[in-house]
Amino acid sequence: MSEIDWSKMSMTTMWRDWIVKSEQQWSENMSRLLKDEKTGPVLSKQIDEARMMHKMFGEMAQMSLSAANLPSRTDFEALDERMGRIEDGMSAVQAGLAQLRVALVSARAVGPAIGGAGTAGAKGAAPARTRKPAGKASAAQSTAKTRA
Amino acid sequence: MTAPRTAARAAPKPDAMKAAASAALRPAAAESGANLRNPMQRALERMGIDAADFADITGALGVTAKETIYAQGTLKLHHYQPLADSVYRVPVLIVTSLVNQPYILDLAPGQSMVEFLLRQGFDVFMIEWGRPRREHKDLVLEDYVLDRIPACIERVQQVSGEKDVSIIGYCVGGLLSAIYAALHPGGPLKNLVCMAAPVNGDGLESLKAWMGRDFDEEALLAQYGNVPGDWVQNALRALRPFGKLAGAMSLLNNMDKEDAVRSNLRMGKWETDNLPFPGGVFRQMVNGFLRRNQLVKGTWVIGGKRVKLGDIKVPFLHLLAADDHITPYASSKDLVQLVGSRDKQELIVKGGHVGLVAGRGAELRMWPALDEWLAQRST
Repeated sequence: MSEIDWSKMSMTTMWRDWIVKSEQQWSENMSRLLKDEKTGPVLSKQIDEARMMHKMFGEMAQMSLSAANLPSRTDFEALDERMGRIEDGMSAVQAGLAQLRVALVSARAVGPAIGGAGTAGAKGAAPARTRKPAGKASAAQSTAKTRA
Repeated sequence: MTAPRTAARAAPKPDAMKAAASAALRPAAAESGANLRNPMQRALERMGIDAADFADITGALGVTAKETIYAQGTLKLHHYQPLADSVYRVPVLIVTSLVNQPYILDLAPGQSMVEFLLRQGFDVFMIEWGRPRREHKDLVLEDYVLDRIPACIERVQQVSGEKDVSIIGYCVGGLLSAIYAALHPGGPLKNLVCMAAPVNGDGLESLKAWMGRDFDEEALLAQYGNVPGDWVQNALRALRPFGKLAGAMSLLNNMDKEDAVRSNLRMGKWETDNLPFPGGVFRQMVNGFLRRNQLVKGTWVIGGKRVKLGDIKVPFLHLLAADDHITPYASSKDLVQLVGSRDKQELIVKGGHVGLVAGRGAELRMWPALDEWLAQRST
């Protein structure tokens, strides 16, 4: 257990500490309430209402923003989707280049340094696939409950 | 002798950090923000960190050197640059969650499970599912476990030159990995490690209560296509309603500890960066997994085949967190009992869902346990 640094202790620090220590209990109680068979369906309905409100507000905001010649959330989402497609395309090019480089390296060399052609490893000397485990059990076992 | 622990933390460099943070200051904030600084920013200044935004001091996340070797739609398969002079024969493929960014497994140098595995001598690959767009609303579990994961495994085999592959799956990624393993009993899988993988829908009591018969998932999907990331985040937050408050209080009480501040802010950044849940998968999860609990009953049909976890025969390890509020023990405990492997084990380590894979607890307990188990089975 760590020692308490009394020089840094204050009422607010202790109050915050109390919140941190009590939080789990509060959250458990609240979760118990939220997953109750009576509360659950109410929450489901609220989720549905929130979704519909989101839709209505979105449509209203879009009309207002459109009238003011400003981009709406929908416009930004469309832009995001477009950028996502560009990013995916770039990843595909990157992956293609990686494959091409490996093919070129393989064509030049007699054989790859490790079992396969390698990629990230192809930049430098590829490590051999010969590693063996160190052997002994680590301290981790003593801190973990085990069940087979 | 225990394998050497290598994830050493870089020595703090306050001057360099201050300089970097100052460089990142936005001009507007620098000019007008002097008397608008909030208490947190003033506390950061007292620490010598002159940052306009918390994001400035977390630094870049997920920066371990890697190369994208395969891409399909939003999916990217990364191969990490080996960090050891020799590697284990069997490569490791990490299958990440569909709703969380994968960089939680590679948060920052010295705070990265990926970096740890690389230093221990594993050849590491990772599937990043990416951010689904409206055009991906019809993706279903079949697309992931019968098409994308097999395609990535094939690519790992090509690159490594090895027939065998080990899989480490985290959270929903663990669920996907288990379904893949069950549907490919004769496949190239050598070892399966799941980390906080839910298999019993009845154990996810809160989600089950909220997504019962009164929940209209079809209306949600008709409106958005996929479940938006902020909806996913709100649902996860509601599982621990006061968690955010406690996190903030803890941060304030640790403002004099630079490492703790950085770590907390990195985790905070990740927690608010959820991915949308692909519509088709969400529909299957709500109906098949949560409402009918079909996986543990052995009645879940994926791609015309019944998923029988008993068909998993490869060495199996399930790593669980004792205080996991996202994947509670009731939802994950059945996995080790249901898999048909002779060599199977469950390890419960201290901490929560995120602390299982990142943070000081993971560094001390989970990573070494994972290394020890996997190393013996990777030659």
